[in-house]
Amino acid sequence: MTANGLSVVVLLREVLDPRPPVRLAGGGVMVREPGPRRLVNPADLEALEEAMLLAEGRGARVTAVAVGPGRRLEDGLRLALAMGAHRAVRVDGPGLWEGDAVARARVLARVVEILSPSLVLAGARLLDRGDDPAPALAAAGLGLPCCTPVVSARVGDGEATATRKADRGARDVVALPLPCVLLMEGGAREPRYPDLDAVLAALGAPVETWGLPELGLPERAVGEHAALLRPERLVHPRPDPTPVPTPDPDAPAFERIRTLLSGGIRARAGRVHEGSAGEVVEGLLRILEEEGLLQGAAP
Amino acid sequence: MTFKHLFSPLKIGKVEVRNRISFQPHLTNFAVDCLPTERHMHYWGERARGGVGLIITEEMSVHPTDRAYEKLVEVFHPEVIPHFRRIADRVHEFEARIFAQLNHNGQQCDGTISRLPVWAPSPVPDVLFRETPKEMEPEDIEEVARYFGRCAVHVREGGFDGVELQFGHSSLARQFLSPLTNFRTDEFGGSLENRMRAPLMFIEAVRRAVGDDYTVGIRLCADEMIPGGLDLAQVQEIARRFEATGLIDFMDLSIATFYNLYLVEGSMHTPLGYTVPLAAGIRESVKLPVFCTGRINDPVMAEKVLAAGQADMIGMCRALICDPFLPKKAEEGRMEEIRYCVADNQGCIGRMGVNKLLGCIQNPAVGLEARWGEGSLRPAAVKKRVMVVGGGPAGMWAAKMAALRGHRVDLYERGDELGGQVLIAMKGAGRDEFGVIARNEKAQLDRLGVTVHLGVEVTEAMVLEQAPDAVIVATGSVPKAHPVAGADGPAVFNVWQVLEGEAEVGQSVCLIDYDGHHRATSTAEHLADRGVEVHIITSSLFVGAELGPLQDLYLTRQRLLQKGVTFTPDIAVMEVTGEAGDKRVKGFNVYSNEWGEWGPYDSLVLAMGQEVDDRLYKALKGKVKELHRIGDCVAPRKVDMAIWEGHKVGREI
Repeated sequence: MTANGLSVVVLLREVLDPRPPVRLAGGGVMVREPGPRRLVNPADLEALEEAMLLAEGRGARVTAVAVGPGRRLEDGLRLALAMGAHRAVRVDGPGLWEGDAVARARVLARVVEILSPSLVLAGARLLDRGDDPAPALAAAGLGLPCCTPVVSARVGDGEATATRKADRGARDVVALPLPCVLLMEGGAREPRYPDLDAVLAALGAPVETWGLPELGLPERAVGEHAALLRPERLVHPRPDPTPVPTPDPDAPAFERIRTLLSGGIRARAGRVHEGSAGEVVEGLLRILEEEGLLQGAAP
Repeated sequence: MTFKHLFSPLKIGKVEVRNRISFQPHLTNFAVDCLPTERHMHYWGERARGGVGLIITEEMSVHPTDRAYEKLVEVFHPEVIPHFRRIADRVHEFEARIFAQLNHNGQQCDGTISRLPVWAPSPVPDVLFRETPKEMEPEDIEEVARYFGRCAVHVREGGFDGVELQFGHSSLARQFLSPLTNFRTDEFGGSLENRMRAPLMFIEAVRRAVGDDYTVGIRLCADEMIPGGLDLAQVQEIARRFEATGLIDFMDLSIATFYNLYLVEGSMHTPLGYTVPLAAGIRESVKLPVFCTGRINDPVMAEKVLAAGQADMIGMCRALICDPFLPKKAEEGRMEEIRYCVADNQGCIGRMGVNKLLGCIQNPAVGLEARWGEGSLRPAAVKKRVMVVGGGPAGMWAAKMAALRGHRVDLYERGDELGGQVLIAMKGAGRDEFGVIARNEKAQLDRLGVTVHLGVEVTEAMVLEQAPDAVIVATGSVPKAHPVAGADGPAVFNVWQVLEGEAEVGQSVCLIDYDGHHRATSTAEHLADRGVEVHIITSSLFVGAELGPLQDLYLTRQRLLQKGVTFTPDIAVMEVTGEAGDKRVKGFNVYSNEWGEWGPYDSLVLAMGQEVDDRLYKALKGKVKELHRIGDCVAPRKVDMAIWEGHKVGREI
C-alpha cells in the first residue's frame, strides 16, 4: 500500500490474433495449438495504460495479473512491468483457466480478495471472443460495484467517477464507491511504448507465480469441475458473404440489368491512333510512357 | 487446385448431398406422352455417374391446365411413379441425389396444346404466349394447391429424395407474387401478405402431403428485372417470409421473366457468374442453403463463389450438358480433360424453344447416353492407319474418336493452328469464348498422342504415296466467291476477310446479311467497335433473325443500336456496283417489290453464305481404300454438325 492507499489491479488476458484463420483439432472440440498467434488483449493493455496514468497522477501502486497456463503469459506480464507496473502475478494451476466464465470468475474473485485493491481494471471486450463476463461475475461475487464500458475514469477519495457509453453515442457519468471494478472500452487510450531500458529491466524482474495453494482453493472449486457449461463441439460458422455489388433495387430495371451484365465493370474503350507509321509509333510510345510501362527503358 | 468447398457435403433438409454441384432444372423435350422416358433415365444417370451431387429434374406439370409445350411430364398421373423409380434407382446407383421440380406455369403457358383455358392470377397475357388467361377463382387456387400435394406424393413414391417447387421465372407462384401479373383485389392480391397467400398454400399442401421427414424447397426469381416487377429488395423480404414458415429446406434461385428470357439463359455475351450478386443478396437475408446458377461453367469459379460465401450450392446446367464428367474430373484434378461449355446456346437452348430434343454443340451424346454414353466406346477390331485432313472441329473430333479406339491417327492442317473456322468466328465481337471449342479438343489430341501436322497442304499425290488405310476429308468450306452480281468488283469483302483483318474497309460499310446469325452481326459489331459506320441490309424481317431462339437477339440488337449500326430489312440484294469509296447496293423489297439503291459506301461486306471446299475429296474418290467426308466440306452448316459428323465417323471407322 502506498501513502494514499490507492492500489490498482489490472487483469491481462490472452486472445487469439483474429487475423490468421483458426484451425480446429480434436475432432472439432478445440482450437489447434500451436499455430494461432496469441497476444495480450488490446483493451486490457489500454486498461493498464489507464492504471499507469492513475499511478503517475495519484501515486497508485499497480499490479498486473494474468491467469492462464504455461509460461507464455509471462511475456505479457513483463510487458506490463516494462510499461511501469509495480508487481506482476501469474496465476497458474492444472485446468485453472478451463471451464466457463463462472469458474474463471471464482478464480478472479479469489485473486482480488487476496490483493484487496482499491480498483480493478480490465478491458470491456476481448479481441477474439468479444464479451467476457468473468470480471463482472467476479465483481458480483465479491459484492463490488462494476461499470462497463468505461470511456474514462477519475478516482477521488473513496470514490471513482466513470464515464461510460450510453445509447446512441450519449455518455453516462456514474459514481462508484471504492473498491470497484471498471471495464474499459477499447480505443480510449493508446498503450505506451516502453523504452528499451524498461524492457531490459523487465526481463530480469520477478514475476510471482501463484498456484492453488496460494489461492487457497481446492481443485474441485476451479476449472472444469466448477463449470456450469460443458463444451460440446466447435464448428466453423457459415462464411459471411463477401460483399459483391448487388444491383440497386431502386434503380430502373434497365440499369439493374446493365449492372449485372457489365459485372460491375465498365469496359475500357480502346483508343485508335492514326497517321503515318512514325506518328503512330510516337503515339504508342507516349501511351506506354503514360501507363508507366516504359520505366527503365533506354530513351 | 483443391476444391475444399466444392467437394464438401451439404445437408439439405433430410438429405446429405456429396458435393456442392447441382444439375439444375432445364427442359429436355425427352418426354413421350407426358411421361418420363428411358432417355431421361440415361441422361440423368450419366450426370450422376459423372460425379454431380444433386440432380433437379426438368419442370414437371402439376395440373392439366399447365401445358407450356408438347413434351412436358405430367406428374399428376400416378403412371409416372414406376418411371420415377427407375430414374431414382439409376441416379442412386452412382450416389447422387435427385429432386423433382414441380411447376404450374400459369399464364406462361399454351392453352392450344392442353385445349383448356390458361389459368393465372389476373387476366393479363404473357408477353411470349400472348394468350389471355382465365382469372383463377379461389377454388381453382385450392385445386392447384391440392394437385401440388398429390404430385409431391407421386415424387416421394417414385423414390426421389426431394421436391423443388418452381416459384421462379416461369411459374404461377411468381405471377401471384409479382405486382406485374397480380392485379387481384381479393385476399390473393394487393399487399405482399396477400400476394404470398397462394404460393404459401402450395408449400403447405406439399409439406402436408410428404410429411416433415422429406426435403422440400423452392426456386425463387431473385429479380424480375422489369419495371413494375419484383426487385431484389422485395424478393429478400419474400425469401425471409418463406423461410420463417419453417416449411422449406432450401432456396434455389432464378432470374428474370419471359420479358427478358436472355437473362435466364445468358449466352456467351453475358459475363460468367452474372447472377452471383443476386444469390449473395438473397443469402444475406436467409439461413437456408442458397443455390446460385448462371454461367458458372468452371469448378474454379464455383469454388470461389462458395469460398466467398456467396452461395451454398452451385447450379450447373449447360456446363454438365456439355461435360457430364466435369465434377469427377475436377475432383480428381484432371482439369485439362474438362470440356468447357461456351454458352453458345445453339445446341441446347436454341433447340428447346423450337421443340427439338436437347443437344449440345460440343457433346453429340446428349440424349443418346444409352448408345454413346461413357463406356460405350469399343476398341476398333482392326487398327488402321487413319489420315484426317483438316484441323477444324470435324477433323479434330474424328481424330480424337479414332485415336480413342486405338487407330493410328495423323491429323493434317494447312494453317499453323488447329481450329478451322472456329478460329475465325471467335474474332467476332464478344465471340472470343467460341475459341474454347478448339482449345478443349486440342488438349485431348495432345493427350491421346495424335500426330498433328501443321502447315501442311495435303495433295492427292501425298495421300496416294502414304497409302493410309482410311482417309477422312474435313476440308471445310469458304465464303461463296460470287454470291451476287458485282461481288468480284473492287472493295467487296467477305466476313472472313474482315475478321482476319485482311480488308481495308474505309469509314463506311454496308454489310449484306443473308446469314441472320453471329457471322453477320458479330462482324458488324467488330467493325463498329473500330469506329466504322455500318449499315446492314438483310432480306429478313430484322437483323439477327437466327439469334432469337439462342437468346442472343435482344442484347445483340441493343449493342448494334448503341454502336450506331443502322438497318434496312426486307431487301433482296440483286447487284452491287461502283468503285471503292462509291459502292452501291441495288435490290428490291421482297414484300412490295419496289426497287431501290443504297449508297455510297466506302466498301461492302458480304455475309452471303459458304460453299464447300471438296477438291481433295473429289480427287481421291475411288482411289483410296476407305474415304469419308465430314463437316462443312459435305455441306456448309454450323459447328454442331461438324462435331456430330466427326464424332460419328470416328466411332464407326
